This record gives sequence, structure tokens and C-alpha cells, in this order.
Amino acid sequence: MMKQFSYRHTKEAEFMESMEEGELFSFAGFNEMEAEKTGYSNYSYWYSTFRAFLKNRGAFVLLVLLILLLAFTFIQPYLPGQYDPNMIINDAKGMQFRNVPPGKDFVLGTNSIGQDLWARIWAGTRTSLIIGLSVALAEAVIGITVGVIWGYVRKADFILTEIYNIIDNIPNTIVLILISYILKPSVKTLVFAMCLTGWIQMARFIRNQILIIRDRDYNVASRCLGTPVSRIIIKNLLPYLVSVIMLRMALTIPAAIGNEVFITYIGLGLPVNIPSLGNLINEGRALITTPALRYQLVYPTIILSFVTISFYIIGNAFSDAADPKNHM
Amino acid sequence: MLKYLGKRIARSFLTLIIILTAVFCLLRLMPIEGYFQNFDKMTPQQIQVGLKEMGLTDPLPVQVIRFFKDLLHGDLGVSRIYRSNVPVSDILKDKVPVSVKLGVWSMALSLLVGLPMGALMARYKYRWFDKIGTLFIVCIQAVPAAVYFLYIQLYGTKLMGVGLLFQINDPKYWVLPVLSMSLGNIAFYGMWLRRYMVDESNKDYVKLAKAKGMSEGGVMFKHIFRNAFVPLAQYIPTAFLNTVIGSIYIESLYSIPGMGGLLVTVIKKHDNTMVQGIVLLYACVGVLGLLLGDLLMVLLDPRISLGKKEGDR
Amino acid sequence: MNQEKILEVNDLDIKFELRGKTLHAIRGISLDLYKGEILAIVGESGSGKSVFTKSFMGLLERNGYVDGGSAVYYGADDRDNVELTAVKREKDWLRIRGHEIAMIMQDPMTSLSPLKTIGAQIMEAVLLHQKVGHSEAKKRTLKYLMDVGIQDPEKRFDQYPHEFSGGMRQRVVIAIAIACNPQVLICDEPTTALDVTIQAQILDLIKELRHKYRLSVILITHDLGVVANIADRVAVMYAGDIVEIGTCEDIFYDARHPYTWALLSSLPQVGVKGTDLFSIPGTPPNLYTEIKGDAFAPRNPQALKIDFVKRPPYFEVSPTHKAKTWLLDPRAPKVDPPPVVSKIRNGGLL
Repeated sequence: MMKQFSYRHTKEAEFMESMEEGELFSFAGFNEMEAEKTGYSNYSYWYSTFRAFLKNRGAFVLLVLLILLLAFTFIQPYLPGQYDPNMIINDAKGMQFRNVPPGKDFVLGTNSIGQDLWARIWAGTRTSLIIGLSVALAEAVIGITVGVIWGYVRKADFILTEIYNIIDNIPNTIVLILISYILKPSVKTLVFAMCLTGWIQMARFIRNQILIIRDRDYNVASRCLGTPVSRIIIKNLLPYLVSVIMLRMALTIPAAIGNEVFITYIGLGLPVNIPSLGNLINEGRALITTPALRYQLVYPTIILSFVTISFYIIGNAFSDAADPKNHM
Repeated sequence: MLKYLGKRIARSFLTLIIILTAVFCLLRLMPIEGYFQNFDKMTPQQIQVGLKEMGLTDPLPVQVIRFFKDLLHGDLGVSRIYRSNVPVSDILKDKVPVSVKLGVWSMALSLLVGLPMGALMARYKYRWFDKIGTLFIVCIQAVPAAVYFLYIQLYGTKLMGVGLLFQINDPKYWVLPVLSMSLGNIAFYGMWLRRYMVDESNKDYVKLAKAKGMSEGGVMFKHIFRNAFVPLAQYIPTAFLNTVIGSIYIESLYSIPGMGGLLVTVIKKHDNTMVQGIVLLYACVGVLGLLLGDLLMVLLDPRISLGKKEGDR
Repeated sequence: MNQEKILEVNDLDIKFELRGKTLHAIRGISLDLYKGEILAIVGESGSGKSVFTKSFMGLLERNGYVDGGSAVYYGADDRDNVELTAVKREKDWLRIRGHEIAMIMQDPMTSLSPLKTIGAQIMEAVLLHQKVGHSEAKKRTLKYLMDVGIQDPEKRFDQYPHEFSGGMRQRVVIAIAIACNPQVLICDEPTTALDVTIQAQILDLIKELRHKYRLSVILITHDLGVVANIADRVAVMYAGDIVEIGTCEDIFYDARHPYTWALLSSLPQVGVKGTDLFSIPGTPPNLYTEIKGDAFAPRNPQALKIDFVKRPPYFEVSPTHKAKTWLLDPRAPKVDPPPVVSKIRNGGLL
């Protein structure tokens, strides 16, 4: 009779070492389970992504700060002692508080009409963020929907590819200018104009990914084994898709805000009674030659830069973290 | 190869026609005030008569055909508000060369600075040059151009001692606009080239080249750069478009008498025919740029001899 | 065969840092390469064959390092012997790579730059390692093209890799290696990606070039058929260690290590019609943990208890043949090799 032991255990090994020669040189017997024992990989995609992202301390810090900023932006109106951004503030004599530099009464000063800059900046950030987030979200929804159809329905591929080629040829900004020129400027108009050309990139990307589920060998192999398409999508495609969709969205937001600033400068932006970072910067720009009043430009640009840089860095950091090549 | 070229050019042409038609139709939606100098003072009948005279009350297909007919004669209509009754094409004629000059200089500068920067960043990956370069790229790409254009103008003009009023023949005055316009593309090229070069350096032929005994620098510049440049070339049209768009803002900011500045002015004045003319011109430029980009790809990559699937770019 | 050593490896240890853990890829290998021979290294995927040879040229991945042992290269004509494990700077590796030790890799499809003509790529190697001018370099390139069996070299010189078939591309890769004028040629699975019919041609080419250019060749493969065709000596590798080494006859006709037996049994040619093909049960061990005893023991039905306790040393079967198995210890019970060994010896299957 052959004894069957599991010899990896140190105690057993020590026990073994004390054995006599005769015993050592006898057969050990074959344990099928031991033969199959190999290091299993405890690799979890999302855990590794998370870990890789956290390693990037800069991005993590920015993420925390950004979340705090976003939270504050939306809480700010409810805090005590806040002025309405559009309210022209008069002093006791009925004179407007024009161009008051930052100080005790007005944390960031006032503008040339007498409105509180602090309130206006936060209102402006809110507006710009809403524009940015709406555009990103709308582009994602439309883009993914169209992209899935584009990739899945073979007949749709040709016509959509042609449409893509045409739309891709027109500079996006021209469309933006055109739409804003034709329709009355408002938040909805801007969001609409920006989405009009933005969704196509997302759709094209999704379509390429869908084609990959069909064409890549490991996916074909999975299908041959009878794996349901839903599982292929969830296990193989989704991790990659989600990370890149989030990257695109993260980069769309600064782009949208930038577009808003641009279009405001041209004169097709939001009306002045809807504060936005675009028109705040525009107002500040007019005063650029007077050093004392430059704060009206500087503060909006600081907030704007912080928001856009944060989204950009976080988006890229997340995308790098999600790349399996970096999971080392 | 020629067959492919012919097909590609024909397709671009077709695209152009479609775009022009689409934009033209879209422009019919422009607010009517833009056609008349004294809109407020006109009675509804006068407005109707005026519109009819301009052919704007005709059915859309008729207008489109007439538009293309006029286009073949180089007739883009007449400005109503900006320069009353002056043909649009005359006004544009003087502005276009200025914008072209600005654009060409800016493209050249961005390639000359952006490409080496990207290559060096890939070569010295993770070292200080790469880190500074990345910082530069992040700032330029994240912060809207409008913002850093402003600051460059503010501090740059002081630094260079130039006034704010543009002198077209003095090269000193060209420095800041060209520089500002190229920054975006420098960052763009830098980022993409670095990315592609890093991707290439993991490939097998690079390993073989190293095994051959080629130095790191040699492999980088003789093999990796050349191979990475091929996918990068497809971004040159995009960079070109960026330049075109950037010029709109820059020209306005520095009061440069080019097409971009003109566009801003006529938008503010709500001159429809002018807006139409300029927008159509930009659309053409866009299509042309992308066509050139595709042709560049064909030239660079010996593997492309037949049509490539457009959607794969 | 010349008994002069050109490469001597002693107790080489190579490790990798992966996700915070250490992988012990090469566990103390000692191996000699003699001048002018073709030494085949056989093993499964993941046994460490490529890693082992890459360390001779400083081509390990960034997270890999030599943790102990030595690898001495004797071939350098103008200099003293080189301790390869001590080479640190890129500059110093450049004097080894190509010029002394050259490598050809598995996939000819991706080994060549798609944007350069193959002529240019071969000439690059010539210009790097041979002190000649441009036109002389071209002449030599054309000669190398002829040597590797590419007809019409002038025309082929200006063609791009995508205009060549897989077999032809591999010839080009070999030409590049030859053009470096090396002493040692490492072939990392050169025929794995090629058709069987082309395989034989490439192997014959390597044999021919070995004589013509007086090379010493290390051939890495997982295919025993390839080995039988071309090798002078064979080293069998398992889990980062060389478990048996000997001449081709030693290994095929007189194998002693149970792993070698298992490999031989797995050859499709020895299968009996109507029965299941043999495959080795189990899987290779986890190299992240320390292995006690013989690494192959868990998969070996004839393992002795001592195989789990103490790592076997080399036991010499003959001056040319040794194996790391306790079965060769005089105290071990007599175990007959499986029938496949005598089948091969008698039946001339290979």
C-alpha cells in the first residue's frame, strides 16, 4: 500500500528529514491534486486598476480636491451670507459698489456693475459644470447607442461610416458657431451645439469595440465554447469600455468649458444674466489693462484652470491605471 | 495607387458638395435681421420685398442650385451690413493671405518644436525632461486656449515691448500670435508622438534591433520615430484644423486683419452673407486639410496600396 | 567536436518583481556551451528558456534581474573574458550584442520594421559591426542574402518585409544575425511560427551557417522533433532548472530523468493507434513560492519521498550525460524507463 502525503507542509518535510535512508528512497505515491497545484493568480482587474490609480498620489489628491470643489459649488448658495450673483449691491447712499477690490465685505471683490464676484464665480462654475457634464453625458448616451447599432447591425455599418466621414470633415467649432448664431444663445443651445458633433467620436469608438468582440480570437473562442454574448460583454469588453468611456467623458468636460469660453468671446455666448466662466472671463478681459482690476480676470481663470486641469489629469490617470500593462 | 488617389479625391469632392449644401441649408435658418441694415425701421412688406429680391423666398432646392451656380463664378453674394453692397469675395480676397501666412508659420513652428519634444520625451521617459514636457502638455491641453492666449498677450506684449495695435509688416508683431497659435499643436504633437513611440518600443522589431547591437538612441530615431510618425500623420489634419480655429480667436485678440478676425466682427454685426461666405470657406479648408492628411498617410506607409477602411482611423 | 568552452554559466539565478511579489524564474542553472556546437534547450512554455538566454545580452525586462551566479563569455577575441552578469551599462552591452552574441527570435512577421527595406535592415547590422563603407556594406549584404538562400538578392534588397513570406522573412532575420559577425548565435524558437515544410529548410540553413561562419548555436525549442534534426547536445529545462543534459543520442536513447521520459512519451509519433495520446498530468509549479526538493516531483508518478525533501544534484551517467534525479542515486530503487525509450532506440522513430 502506498502512503499518500502532502509534502509541501514544512512540518511534514521536517518529519521527512528525520526519516531513515531506506524510507526516503521509497516511492512516495502519486497525488493527483498536488500535481494540479499551481499558483493561482489572484488578479482582479478592478482591484488592480484601483490600486494603480491610488499609487498616483497626485491624481488622487486632485480627485479629492475636485470632489470637494464640486460639492462646494452646489452647496454655496445655501450658505449664510451669500449674495445673489445677479444682484447689484448698493451701499447705504444708494451707490453701486463698483470694482471693489477683494476685502472684508466682498471676499473676491465686485465687478464693474456692482455684483459680488464671489457669488458670480460660483454661479459661473455651476453653469459651466452643468454645461460640461450635460455635454459629456449626452455624448455618452447618444454615442454608445449609435455605436452599438453601428457595430452590431451590419447593414448600418456602411451608411453610418459615410455619415461619419462627412461629419468628421467639418470643423466642430464651425458647427458650434453656426448653431449659436442661428439659435438664441442659452445653456440648451450651447449643449445642443456641442453635442451635435461630439457624439460621433464616441459612437465610432464603441463601434470599433463591438467589432472586436466579434473578431478577436479570444472572443470567437469564447463564443465557440458557448459563452453567452452578455458574459463576453461583461467580462471582456466592459472593463475596457467603461474605463475609456470615463476617460472620454473626463476630457469632454474641459473641452466643453473651453468651447463655452471661446464662443462667449466671439459674442455668441450666454447672456450676462446667466453667469458662466466664459462671460466672467470675458468681462475680466476688458479690464486687463488696469492692473488694479485684474483680479476680476484672475479669480475666474484660477477656478477654471483648476477644474479643467483636474478633470484632465484624473481622466488620464484613470485611463493609465485601467491599462492592464500597468498592473505590474 | 493612382486609382486609390483618384477615388479619395473624388470622395472628398463629394463630401465637400454635401457639406456645402448642408451648411447652406442650415444657414437659411439665420435670423432675417442679418440681411438688412435698417431692419428695425422696415415695415413687414419692405422686408418681404427685400427677401424676395435676394431670392430668399424661393424654394430651397432652387436656392441651392443658384448658390452653386454663383459659386462656380466665384460669386459669394454681397455684404449687407459690414460693407454695404460690396461683394463678399472682394472683402475676403484681402483677408485670406494674412490668415494663410499666420497659419503656415504656426504649423511650421508646431512641427519643428512639437515633434522633437515628443521624441525626446519618449527617449528620456520618466526623467526630468519628460516630466516637464508632461506638465506643459497638461496645462496647454486642459486649460482653454482662450485663457492662456490672454495671459500671453498680457505679459508677452510687455516683455517684447510691442504695442497692442498690430503692425502687419513688422515681424516683431507676428511673434506672439504665431507662438500662441502653435502652443496647442506643440502639446498635441508632443503628446501623441510620445505615446506612439512608447507603444512602438514594445514591439518585436525593436527588440531585434536592440539585439543587433543598436544603441538606444539609434533605435529611437532610426526605427521608432519613423514607425511612430505614420499613425501620427493622421493627426496633422486635425492639428491643421486646430490652427484654423485658433486663428479666429488670435486674429481677433491681436486685431490682425485676417479671416478669423473678420468672422468675429461680422458675427457681432449680424451680417448673414458675410457669415455664410466665411463659414463656407472654412468648411472647404477643413475638407481639404483632411484630404491632404489621408494622402500623406498613403505616402508614408508602404503597406497602404489599396483603400483603407475609413472608420478604422 | 571542440572541447573549448565559449560560454560558461554557473549557478545562475534570475528573478522578476511582479505586482510586489518575486518570481524566481531561473533557479541556479549551470551550463557550458562549447565552441562550434549546436546546443538545444528544450522545455515547456514558462520553463524559462528565453529568459535564460536573454540575460546573456542584457535584454531582460525592466523588472528582471540577475540575483546570483555567473555567466562567463570566453569568445571575445581582443579582450579578456567577460563576466556577463557584471555588465551594467548600455554602452557595455552594445559591445556584446550582435558582435559577440546575436539572437534571432520567434516571430518573423513582427521582427522586422515594416517601414524599411530588408536590405537596409541588414545593412544596418553590417555598418554597425563591420568597419566598411556604404558600397562595400551593400556588397556584403547581397552576399548574406545569397548565403541564407534568398534568390535574386539585388531585387529583394529593395523590397519591404510585407512582400516576403514567413520563411523568407526568417531567412532575412538570420541574415541580419550573421551580418553582425557573432561568435554565438541564440535562436529563440526560430521555427515555431513557420510551416513544417519550411521548418526543415530553416534548420538546415542554421546547420550550414554554423559551419560556414564557425558559430556556436543555442537553439531554444519546445519541439523534440526539431531537436533530433539539428542538435549536438540537448539540455532539458523544467521550472527554471536544467534537469538533464547530454548528447542527442544520450537524451533520445538513454534518457534518465522522469521529466525527459514524460516529454518523450508525449511525442505524437510514439502514440499507439487506438489509444489515448500521453500527456503529462498536472501543471508546472508556481515559481513565486520556494520549491522544496525536485520541482517535477508532484507530477511524477515514480517520485521518491526524498524528491519532496531535497533537491537532487547532478548524477553523472557518462562523461557527456548527467541528470538531476534521485533515481540515479545508488540507494534508489531500480526504475525502468518507459517503453517509449526503447521504442525510439530500436524503432528509429526519429
